[in-house]
Amino acid sequence: MNMLSSEWLKIRSVRSTGLLLLLSLGAILLGAAIAWMAAGMYDDATPAKRATASIAELEEVVIIVPQLCMGILGVLAITSEYATGVIRTSLTAVPRRWPVLAAKAAVVGAISLLTGSVAIFGTYFLARQVIGDRFSGTYLTPFLDRLPTLAATGLTVCVFALLGLGLGALTRSTAGAVAVLVGLAYVIPMFVGKLPSPWKDWLGSMMISALPRQISGVPFKSSVYGSSLPPAAAVAVLAAYALVPVLAGTWLLRHRDA
Amino acid sequence: MVRCAADPPYPILDDVIRLHHLTKRYGDTLAVDDLSFTVEPGHVTGFLGPNGAGKSTTMRLILGLDTPTSGEALVNGRPYTTLRRPMAQVGALLDAGAVHGGRTAYHHLLCLARTNDIGERRVAEVLDLVGLTGVARRRVGGFSLGMRQRLGIAAALLGDPRVLMFDEPVNGLDPDGVRWIRDLMRSLAAEGRTVLLSSHLMSEMALTADRIVIMGRGKLIAEATIQELTTRYPTLEDAYLALTAGSVQFGAAR
Ligand SMILES: Nc1ncnc2c1ncn2[C@@H]1O[C@H](COP(=O)(O)OP(=O)(O)O)[C@@H](O)[C@H]1O
Ligand SMILES: [Mg+2]
Repeated sequence: MNMLSSEWLKIRSVRSTGLLLLLSLGAILLGAAIAWMAAGMYDDATPAKRATASIAELEEVVIIVPQLCMGILGVLAITSEYATGVIRTSLTAVPRRWPVLAAKAAVVGAISLLTGSVAIFGTYFLARQVIGDRFSGTYLTPFLDRLPTLAATGLTVCVFALLGLGLGALTRSTAGAVAVLVGLAYVIPMFVGKLPSPWKDWLGSMMISALPRQISGVPFKSSVYGSSLPPAAAVAVLAAYALVPVLAGTWLLRHRDA
Repeated sequence: MVRCAADPPYPILDDVIRLHHLTKRYGDTLAVDDLSFTVEPGHVTGFLGPNGAGKSTTMRLILGLDTPTSGEALVNGRPYTTLRRPMAQVGALLDAGAVHGGRTAYHHLLCLARTNDIGERRVAEVLDLVGLTGVARRRVGGFSLGMRQRLGIAAALLGDPRVLMFDEPVNGLDPDGVRWIRDLMRSLAAEGRTVLLSSHLMSEMALTADRIVIMGRGKLIAEATIQELTTRYPTLEDAYLALTAGSVQFGAAR
């Protein structure tokens, strides 16, 4: 309990946290702005063009912003301690070491889960309000049918935060961890999309952004990602992204010289 | 008598730091080489040696931050890493620069205090003790080196520990700061605490320490009281230079 309150205070008492939260929630406004522009273009278009016009689910597009921001929050939670040398003070105070990273995971996980949920549902409701029945009724799907996909997509924000924390613990470097995070989340998927099948589909299904729709069982209509995993397997892969680096980082934290 | 299950597996040695054939190797560098000595309560023990002698490494080994290659370091008869609320037993200042510049002094200390069940009242107390109460709500990024040293000392004192270690705390301080730290070290020792104070300057030790441990190139060179050294050598400076003559790695010993 005291470890949690210490780590909570640590994250609360630096400016970068507020900035990253603000940016994350800015995604809602970004999504609303895109929806507003799209609705305007739709209204100005000819009926023929309207009939073929389509729009992606905006909340699943702008979620990239909180994903990155909370990923960086997770990275900084540990690498800022290495950069400043505070890690030695932290580990001197808690020589068993693992509670430090466990408490960071709990705090970063809770903040990012809340942020991800607010971002995904906030964007969804605003975009639905703005788009209405335009674009062949993309946003007319009943909320309860969308709920599993939205919830799983919001959850990826938490996965990014824990992934960032784990990568930070492994690399002990802000730049290194952010580079690996961005590579894993956004660069590798671009290459995977260019692979020959069955690799494209098989590896494409393992990419983080491909997982929510496999968890909800509602595949994208068109996507660079694969969709070959059953929901339970997709949940397991998502959990592995969040937990494997944190566990490996905990092991290294315990066994490496600080 | 039957030993109670909760008894520590080591004999209880209160307020003592004991090194036992402590050795640490980093790749090709033998940073600490078969070091054995004991630091006892009630006086300031000066831990002296040229730059690169292995003083900081020894302190990290005592605190369990680095794992020894062989040998052991015990605090109060136990390895540091087995202590549950270590701040109540041992306080340490390794590097005054090790603070997050964006955090306030108060929050820096409170984060630390919470991990060891130390209350806010004690945080205010140590801030007062080191004279930082007036700037407690300011971000540490704007602190001078002297203020950071005071903050580091406040952190070491948070748990009111009986064993204290300071790694070169007077480096870069103005004469007032040096004087303040010297008086604080002496008063902590006078309260019966164990104080280990490292420096690469003998001149500083002469005024602060009662006992001196000198190391060079990872090895123990001498262990003596200030008195013993001044009777054997014309001055303490001569004693230090003579004893470390073979151990200076990087040019002059200062
Ligand atoms: N983490 C480390 N990795 C490699 N070498 C190290 C490390 N820490 C210290 N050393 C080396 O060990 C020796 C002792 O260093 P140190 O303990 O810092 O000496 P002092 O504090 O007496 O100046 C030096 O040669 C230093 O370069
Ligand atoms: Mg040193």
